[in-house]
Amino acid sequence: MSYQVLARKWRPKRFADLVGQGHVVRALSNALAENRLHHAYLLTGTRGVGKTTIARILAKSLNCEAGAGAEPCGVCAACRDIDAGRFVDLLEIDAASNTGIDNIREVLENAQYAPSSGRFKVYIIDEVHMLSKSAFNAMLKTLEEPPAHVKFILATTDPQKVPVTVLSRCLQFSLRNMTPQQVADHLAHVLDAEGVPYEAGALSLLGRAAAGSMRDALSLLDQAIAYGVGRVEEGGVRAMLGAIDRRYLFTLLDALADNDGPRLLAEADRLAELSVGFDHALAELALLLHQVALAQTVLAALAPDEPERDAIVALAERLAPEDVQLYYQIAVHGRKDLPLAPDEHAGFAMTLLRMLAFHPASLPGASAGATRAPAARAAQPAAPASQPARGEAVAAMPSANVARSAEPAAEPAPEPEPEPAPPIAPPASEAAAPRRADADVPPWLDEVPPPDEWEVSPRAPASTPSRPVRPAPERPAEPVATPQPAAPFTFSGDWLELADHLMKTAASRLGMARMLLENAVLKRIDAGCWHLAIAPAFANHPGAGREAVQKLKDAIAAVLGEPVEIQIETDAAIGETPALRRARHRDERQAAARAALENDPVVKAFEREFGAVLLTDTIQPMQE
Amino acid sequence: MRYPWQDADWRRIRGEFSRLPNAWLFAGPAGIGKRAFAETLAQALLCEAPRDDATACGECEACRWFAAGHHPDYRALSPDDGDDGGKGARRLAQIKIEAVRELIEFAHLSAHRAGRRVVLVEPAEAMNPAAANALLKILEEPPEGVLFLLVSHQRERLLPTIKSRCRPFVLTAPDREAALAYLAREGVENAEAELAHHGGVPLFEHDAARREARDRFLAALERPTLAGLLALAEAADKDKLPLGVALDWLMKWLGDLAGLRLANAVRYHPDRRAALEALAGRADPVALMRCYDALVALAPFAEHTLNVRLQLEAAFADYLNCLAAPSRAAR
Repeated sequence: MSYQVLARKWRPKRFADLVGQGHVVRALSNALAENRLHHAYLLTGTRGVGKTTIARILAKSLNCEAGAGAEPCGVCAACRDIDAGRFVDLLEIDAASNTGIDNIREVLENAQYAPSSGRFKVYIIDEVHMLSKSAFNAMLKTLEEPPAHVKFILATTDPQKVPVTVLSRCLQFSLRNMTPQQVADHLAHVLDAEGVPYEAGALSLLGRAAAGSMRDALSLLDQAIAYGVGRVEEGGVRAMLGAIDRRYLFTLLDALADNDGPRLLAEADRLAELSVGFDHALAELALLLHQVALAQTVLAALAPDEPERDAIVALAERLAPEDVQLYYQIAVHGRKDLPLAPDEHAGFAMTLLRMLAFHPASLPGASAGATRAPAARAAQPAAPASQPARGEAVAAMPSANVARSAEPAAEPAPEPEPEPAPPIAPPASEAAAPRRADADVPPWLDEVPPPDEWEVSPRAPASTPSRPVRPAPERPAEPVATPQPAAPFTFSGDWLELADHLMKTAASRLGMARMLLENAVLKRIDAGCWHLAIAPAFANHPGAGREAVQKLKDAIAAVLGEPVEIQIETDAAIGETPALRRARHRDERQAAARAALENDPVVKAFEREFGAVLLTDTIQPMQE
Repeated sequence: MRYPWQDADWRRIRGEFSRLPNAWLFAGPAGIGKRAFAETLAQALLCEAPRDDATACGECEACRWFAAGHHPDYRALSPDDGDDGGKGARRLAQIKIEAVRELIEFAHLSAHRAGRRVVLVEPAEAMNPAAANALLKILEEPPEGVLFLLVSHQRERLLPTIKSRCRPFVLTAPDREAALAYLAREGVENAEAELAHHGGVPLFEHDAARREARDRFLAALERPTLAGLLALAEAADKDKLPLGVALDWLMKWLGDLAGLRLANAVRYHPDRRAALEALAGRADPVALMRCYDALVALAPFAEHTLNVRLQLEAAFADYLNCLAAPSRAAR
């Protein structure tokens, strides 16, 4: 007789031979012993945990000629016939290939006839989840009240696909996955009986690779025996399973933490050479990231006997928690998209690249904004024509140390004193470069702290990757406003000029006081007390309240560097306030625009030739 | 016929002949000769006078039948090619349950010749769920002498219940030298570039017209202008270029762009590295990923009756976007 695979040869023939599933065996044995049998059973569980096996043993127990007991005898004609698959009263139906209602009808029509040789007619319906809807419904009546001599045993890996009406008519047993230890022990038992030498380490590897299924384990064992030419050795099994030790995962995450793209892809190439399944690799990567996240949040939840515990904890310290979450998401998504990529290698590489691309340090916005600003600016004077590509290339590299090394290199040699660029951060429109170019040190440079101290500040934002990314020009105005000593405003007695200055530099802090500032006129100053005049119509406005006055006072004091008092008085003819002046300017511009259009030769030609009419209401001056 | 790089695999599988499984599952990337290997194995197993190294003799009656393609104890199951008129070309390639039912019937009949029967399913992931489930019972406990050979390009897409019933056998892909040597012997022009474009696997279709189309396609991608790409989409539609092929090219191109931009590595187009480098400097990685995502989302519909031109135009617009000024793309 030809060789039979271990999974078939070692299919248990008695309840006692079963590995695991004690809860099911006990319930069935007791039911058999006390003769309290249900007429329909549903066995569920993943692949290779013993659904079909239990169904067959149960069929034997029911029909054994030695009497219906918990264990079949295994020697009587009925038991032997069932083992050989030729017992007339056991109908094993493959529901996956006979899915239709006609198949089921045919089967059920025969249910009414008494068994020909056994005590019971047993219907094992395997892969029952594949039956069509009408086939399920056709079964319902018979399933609920079958003749006394009929037993149904349904088996499936997918009970969700079975209608509830069927589920409620069956006694359901869900079989558990085997633990790696149970699998390894059983494999040892099989190998002892087969007379094949083995190493215990190999079996525990196989036990883990089987992922809870005994049939997987036995299939792998078959392969391992063939691979090792009649021996099962740890090294051979490791090689056969595709070198699934997880060292490569740590290399990948290390490269990610270093933002080292070339090393990342080199590792992917190496995986391809080892023919590790990329889908498997992504699944393992997600699993490892999960463990890293565990180590970051609840270190105690990480199993203490985890063999790679130290490496995981080290990674947990290197990677930012939000990065771990990001990588996990990308790995899970990448796994889903893998079959859609041109080939699996491409899909895997793309997933890794995506982890790089979405890393905060390499986002283009970040390069222009918070993180990169100092380095990029420092580079400007040295290479004024530096291409965007160059700047971006710098941006893509790991942040902190590159910033350190790039700065001194790019610094213009003749000017050893560094710029206090970041704290001031002028709007980008007044380009930094020209101001740098003249060697004159601006007056406010004197007050800048020594280089060592300020060097810390530009990098501070770099260490917080979650900071919202924003290109430099859009940076908020407050950094401009904060350094009052940097802008030495000398009050010449011109109120309008002072108002302009305040609006430009301290608008956000003035708040309500802006109304006051805009609508007041300075009458006179005597002994530090400023007499401001406002129109009577404005006097009851909240903008003229005490709070606003206080704010205005503070702002003026800050600009002048000395405390001031403010006295408000009302005056019907106060002259031109800043608001009025602005309105006047607007009117003037409007008038100028209108005049320009009316005198335009082209417009005139249109009016003359085509009778065009200028809609003067719609003219708007250009915004400056 | 076996390929030169499969000698070690053959020695390995010969060692397993003493313990034949119910079913072998041959896995590995597409284009490394898995089917050829499985066929070699099938012929060797059916041969009535195998040689010392267990290969088929090629002279016995069984071998001659096999070579002619009608050995009575051999069945090969592949997706139907849609023989119901011209529309078939765009149908999804699937193995259906009827084919599997026929197969089960075949397995239950007795053998014509020496007693062994071989069934080849290629690619196994082409079986639709009903077909795959229908195969389960026979795969686990086939009648005596029946051996299944499953070939899969993407093992992870198979049902776990199928995988659990098969003995896996991962075939080795040829290394670069072996692949180049093979291509040189086959007289393939421009072998290095071709090999790189197909991801390092040596077996691919040699279609000169398709290659020219690809060159035009890539040349247009190299110099991305709206007008040029729109013209390309129009040309692709006129030439009846399947959407799947165009997507494949575009995805590989984007993969290389992203690879250069982020990791300084080119996989598919080393011959166009200079052009890629110029583009990679301008490319915005996030927009690039978004563009790639759109292609992935489109990939399942590659065989659908979508308007190829419209889809390509949309993809090209995305592509142009990721090469636009970074400030605009970042938004």
